Amino acid sequence: MIDINAYLGHYAFRRLRHNTAAELLQLMDRASIEAALVSSAAAIAYRNAQPANEDLASGIRPHASRLLGCAVVNPAYAGWREDLAACHENLGMRALRLYPRWHGYKLTDPDCLDLVRQAATRGMIVTIPLRVEDRRQQSWLVDIPDVPADEIAALLRAVPQAKFVLLNGSGYTATILGKPANGLPANYAVDICLLRTELDDEIGTLIDTLGPHRVLFGTGMPFHFPHAALVKMEFLDRDETTKRRLRRDNAKALLGLP
Amino acid sequence: MTRRHWISTAAASALAQPGARVIDAHNHLRRGNPDGDRLLIAAADKLGIQQLCCSTLPPERPLSHEGCLASNAWTLEGMRRFPGRVLGYCTVNPGYGKSALEEVRRCVEDRGFIGVKLYNDYRADEPVLHPLIELAIQLKVPILQHAGHTAWLPSPQPRISDASHLAALATRYPEAMLICAHICGGGDWEWTIKRLRSARTVLLDTSGSVIDDGVVDMAVRELGAERLLFACDMSMTASAARIRAATLTEAQRSAILGGNMARLLAARGRA
Repeated sequence: MIDINAYLGHYAFRRLRHNTAAELLQLMDRASIEAALVSSAAAIAYRNAQPANEDLASGIRPHASRLLGCAVVNPAYAGWREDLAACHENLGMRALRLYPRWHGYKLTDPDCLDLVRQAATRGMIVTIPLRVEDRRQQSWLVDIPDVPADEIAALLRAVPQAKFVLLNGSGYTATILGKPANGLPANYAVDICLLRTELDDEIGTLIDTLGPHRVLFGTGMPFHFPHAALVKMEFLDRDETTKRRLRRDNAKALLGLP
Repeated sequence: MTRRHWISTAAASALAQPGARVIDAHNHLRRGNPDGDRLLIAAADKLGIQQLCCSTLPPERPLSHEGCLASNAWTLEGMRRFPGRVLGYCTVNPGYGKSALEEVRRCVEDRGFIGVKLYNDYRADEPVLHPLIELAIQLKVPILQHAGHTAWLPSPQPRISDASHLAALATRYPEAMLICAHICGGGDWEWTIKRLRSARTVLLDTSGSVIDDGVVDMAVRELGAERLLFACDMSMTASAARIRAATLTEAQRSAILGGNMARLLAARGRA
């Protein structure tokens, strides 16, 4: 299995367990997860995210075959062009992470569009968590709504050549992002982290509407326990070929893994 | 006793050891939606959940008494459609006073309901609840209280209870079997667990859609496994996985998954 949604480091508002490379790898071993795309949890709240990217790179460097770096870049902050180049060229990161609400910009701002275009030119996938935490449990210091579907849709249209992965989302089927024949470019995929497969079976619906190549295994660990994603995959009423695509093949293709 | 990490990718892997009892202490039927109820039972089958303690919530807010009557009738229907699988909570709005009390008595004594479900019509520390709690004590049934605690969010539920309100109620009625609902669907779970530390008679259900790591481990450490009740509240896979993720002894796992709820049911001879 390949996890498209994992983290290392400290989070500003809650103590995380399993947040060092060694601990995360132990957790992955127990869950039979062979590789994970990891980004920095600290970078979510840092004003200048680049030191967090550097810390992440140091942590994952000895484990490069299993922990793949994802750079958090804030296009509203000074020096983002240099940071993107450093993350890609010097730190070996394969993906870009955007936190528009946490970092104070909109996905359609000119600098963000420029950043996404540059990432696409570099062959980096672009990942966007719709939320970091459930809004009901946010600290009294922050008031961060989920990233709205319409704003994401506008970005998907504006940079059709980019490859996007939407993380920590749910309720897609009630928005343009999860509707069949929605007129959007097929340049995005979603992870299963917060999707349900029981009762309303949003995972199954999205496999049908987006296609089985556009739904990916993601846990959100160590914010989340990986078992939720594992049990969903057990529960999902699809054939093994489809499940293998979700668990591994789709992420391999996106990340260009052998 | 051995501690085990229950990570498994085997499709047949179950929540508990063979023969162990698994009771979901907090779930819902959907009024007028028998297909939805069947899906719920099918999900329980797949996850190895043997019994589900269910209420049916009326759609209107605040809950009307007529709405509660219709919803309790649906719950009774569910108990008949899924005999031995669905155990019923009687839903009432305490503001309806004598009528609410009569409905609880009728549901428990005549229809075999196992408890009372209270929503957000009043906070748990408001005196309007007192006659209802006294009746539940007399009938020896638990009260499942919808609850949540957020630091700032303007609440669409202005009278939602949190652990403080339940703690106050427990101080007044230490013999009541009070259950604080959905630790993983009620906001700041660390706050709730810490606030319940001193409210030793209040139990906590483990349900909810939030899949944060470490909730059950912290609750066991701070409250003890004997105060936790496995529950799903419609989030079936997340809630089952939460128990698998926790580092527990077999005795703790068994107590949380069913033993503790069976103890509550036994108070009225429903074990």
